Amino acid sequence: MKLSWLSLALKEGQRRPVRTLITVAGIAVAVAALASLLAFQRGYQNGLSAELDRLGAHVLVVPKGCPFDAASIALHGANWPCYLRASYLDEVRAVPGVATAAPALMAAFPKSDGAQTVVVGITPEFLALKPGWRIQGKFPSASDEILAGAEVARVRGWNVGESVRIDELPGQRRVSGVMDSTGGSDDAFIFLPLASAQHDLRHEATLTHILVRLRDPAQLDDAVARLRGCNAGMDMNIVPLTHLFRTIQGMVGSTSLWLACVATVALLAAAAGVSNAILMAIAERTREIGVMRALGASPGDVFRLIWIETLLVCLAGSLLGLLAAGIASRGIESWLRDRLPFAPDDTLVRLEPAVALMCLGGAILLGSLAGFLPAWRAARLTPRDALRNPSGA
Amino acid sequence: MNSPVSPATPPPAVVATALAKSYPRGREVVFALREVSFEIHAGEFVAIVGASGSGKTTLLNLLGCMDTPTSGKLQLDGRDVARLSESERTRLRRDRLGFVFQHFGLVPTLSVAENVALPTLFSRRPDPERVQFLLERVGLSGRRNHRPHELSGGEMQRAAIARALINRPLMLLADEPTGNLDSQTGAAILDLFRELNAEGLTLVVVTHNPALADDAQRRLTLRDGSIVPAER
Repeated sequence: MKLSWLSLALKEGQRRPVRTLITVAGIAVAVAALASLLAFQRGYQNGLSAELDRLGAHVLVVPKGCPFDAASIALHGANWPCYLRASYLDEVRAVPGVATAAPALMAAFPKSDGAQTVVVGITPEFLALKPGWRIQGKFPSASDEILAGAEVARVRGWNVGESVRIDELPGQRRVSGVMDSTGGSDDAFIFLPLASAQHDLRHEATLTHILVRLRDPAQLDDAVARLRGCNAGMDMNIVPLTHLFRTIQGMVGSTSLWLACVATVALLAAAAGVSNAILMAIAERTREIGVMRALGASPGDVFRLIWIETLLVCLAGSLLGLLAAGIASRGIESWLRDRLPFAPDDTLVRLEPAVALMCLGGAILLGSLAGFLPAWRAARLTPRDALRNPSGA
Repeated sequence: MNSPVSPATPPPAVVATALAKSYPRGREVVFALREVSFEIHAGEFVAIVGASGSGKTTLLNLLGCMDTPTSGKLQLDGRDVARLSESERTRLRRDRLGFVFQHFGLVPTLSVAENVALPTLFSRRPDPERVQFLLERVGLSGRRNHRPHELSGGEMQRAAIARALINRPLMLLADEPTGNLDSQTGAAILDLFRELNAEGLTLVVVTHNPALADDAQRRLTLRDGSIVPAER
């Protein structure tokens, strides 16, 4: 290898391999924690935003109960514990500012393998909320027609025009349409006309939820107040989805902030560890630094050498940490999904290049600061004092 | 003055005039060198001898621009060292002086060839051909990729000498170069010094080794920081 500042610094790391590895590992752990946290925050935020876009509604009207459960059920499909009267729909539609009110009746049928069949009774108004839907075939209009989500059609091998049987519903059904993938929960749903669903599920004149789109989303607060003030308002839970998602994000964000503080402290501790390790290395190499100074190394040369050594340690730790975060992201995602009160369908832990670069840049900046003191101290050594030092080469 | 200068002698490489160095130690002041004056001419082989604590290393540090005198004047290659800035002293060490240490001072993580090339990293003048030439010159071309711990003491010192010569110095300063070697290996190093001096290199060697001191053209004997009148 041709001798260069880089090769000189790289070889220095081999002098005490265990110490170098421990220092690098300290940085790696802190960077992995920070990167995972940032990746989660970004993934969660993007996921919630995408979920809101896919839902296409500004307000969710549900029976009285927990709004978080209601949102989770409406978005991801589950059995509804109670129902709205279908007559409330007219009151909702009559509220000024409401552009579209799309009723839905949802039922979920768990299967033995842990999966579930989710059927949703809807009306064509639903299409006004879902401009992103691409349907091969047509929206179901006859009582025996169904619209299959992309995933359902793929798993069950359904094609447009095919006559199929759904175990949980009576009679044969005809697949009038198959949706292209939306990337959300809709892919796993089977849609049918609302009246058919109410009849087949034996819930005549009832709904599980109403999705409301406003003419002007900026008037959300006014619209919510008016909805709550209508006659049926006492029997309905009016959930402004933007506020709800903001609240969810806020709850998760508070925890993330605390964890970010912990990760930052870990990073600072790792930087202090790097600084300490380099200071120890300098103490051991004092005479060697004196020899270099005698051979013509300037204080700037010594500073540069020590600084490059510190940066290399931080760079190696950062890359290792990012690699670990990337490898662990699936496990972390699965662990978080089991514990979060509401998790969007999209990837939760998304280690984007921007996050990786941010972590890398942060660690290198911190490394530069950590390396400054040892490098400065080493550069200040006079050749005479350094050569008189009993330690070192 | 302690220099047999004839009219034909070239101008001195080193002129020390009333050179003194003292250090504070607690409330006391230690006088390591007491107004010593001497000259060293280009191409001379000078041995600095004396008991421990007599000021030999202090004098070598001053000659190597690694320390500054408390008083007096030191001229190296015609330049007053006291007037040089830190960066000028560094440049002087790098370009005009070569150093050999008792403990060799090789960087253990570098190969022999890399150790020899190290000063060229500081001078920003890489010269692989000269590295190879010097390794052959000191008989270590077969050991170029070995690490210092794989070498014998004599080989380490020869590598250190090659390193000291890489930037084509005018003067080689050696501090006890045979101090860590057995007599046979020390004799080989002495042969190498003799050859280098024969090629015109100025040598200033601090030593306790009588053979090395005897081999020098001139001896500066220090006692309690002062030069003892010449014995030969």
